[in-house]
Amino acid sequence: MSAALNLSHEPITKIANGKLGMWAFLGSELMFFSGFFGAFIVLRNSNYEVFANGSSHLNVWLALINTFFLIGSSLTMALCIHAAEKNDRSKQQLFLGLTLLGALGFLVIKTIEYSDKWAHGYFPSQENHTLFYSFYFMMTGFHALHVIGGIIPMLFMWFRGYSKKGYPYPVKLEVLGLYWHFVDLMWIFIFPALYLMIPYHGAGGHH
Amino acid sequence: MASHAHDSDHAHGNPIKEYMKVFWTLCFLTLLTVGAAALPFPAEWGTPGDILHVTIGVIIAVIKVVAVMYIFMHLKFDHPLIRAFVYVPVFLFFVLVFALNFLESFEYTRVVALP
Repeated sequence: MSAALNLSHEPITKIANGKLGMWAFLGSELMFFSGFFGAFIVLRNSNYEVFANGSSHLNVWLALINTFFLIGSSLTMALCIHAAEKNDRSKQQLFLGLTLLGALGFLVIKTIEYSDKWAHGYFPSQENHTLFYSFYFMMTGFHALHVIGGIIPMLFMWFRGYSKKGYPYPVKLEVLGLYWHFVDLMWIFIFPALYLMIPYHGAGGHH
Repeated sequence: MASHAHDSDHAHGNPIKEYMKVFWTLCFLTLLTVGAAALPFPAEWGTPGDILHVTIGVIIAVIKVVAVMYIFMHLKFDHPLIRAFVYVPVFLFFVLVFALNFLESFEYTRVVALP
């Protein structure tokens, strides 16, 4: 072990420095999304009809499938890290590959959803839906960017895993795993906030 | 204590079993939150029905988030300092979501006239 490696764990908490850094980054990410959620809540409650009307055009089923894609890929990510710690190369590759598939599946469904919204004129310039669809595209758009941001290092680690040396860095996988679970966590809030929590009773407000 | 803290190969139980448990819990709670949203609450904006509706959704989301952080993100096995470092901002986020929902609902019911 070289001196440099001895520094790789924080002495009190025994946590890898990379993990600590990722947690700090995720703290700032939480604040980033808090801004959206704060504004969303305030404007939802002051423009309920607009938000309910906008939300009623979203496809809950596609979002539900996407939720399962993310939950599933969170599971396979955890299993991949477990395999990496156990030095099980083939399982590490299998589960990282499945995580990638889940992430790509999420993006495919998202693309279908976006193009459908676009085709029907639900985007942030149509008079009636402006406010809700601004939030819809900003929140899910930034979330999808985070998914892409996870796919890039995942692809790198997955391809490196097939090289002769493999990818024997469980801590790095763990750091990526923290990020990936965070992407799942944000979707856990975005999904009910945008798709479920704004029931629409029609323009006349009959109930 | 020392061996407990830095041994990533946790001696307690099979982590795969725990991961699967969390996975099925997440699936169940996802279906539950969709089901709860479909319940015919008298969910007019700013009314107790709407607040109940939102509260149920947020509580389910909070349970899911804590399950993911505790098991998938390994907080269960991390040092208490790390847990504190993570839980405090997340708790404040939950407070933001809850407080804004309640306060805003009441505020706008009073301030803005219903159409």
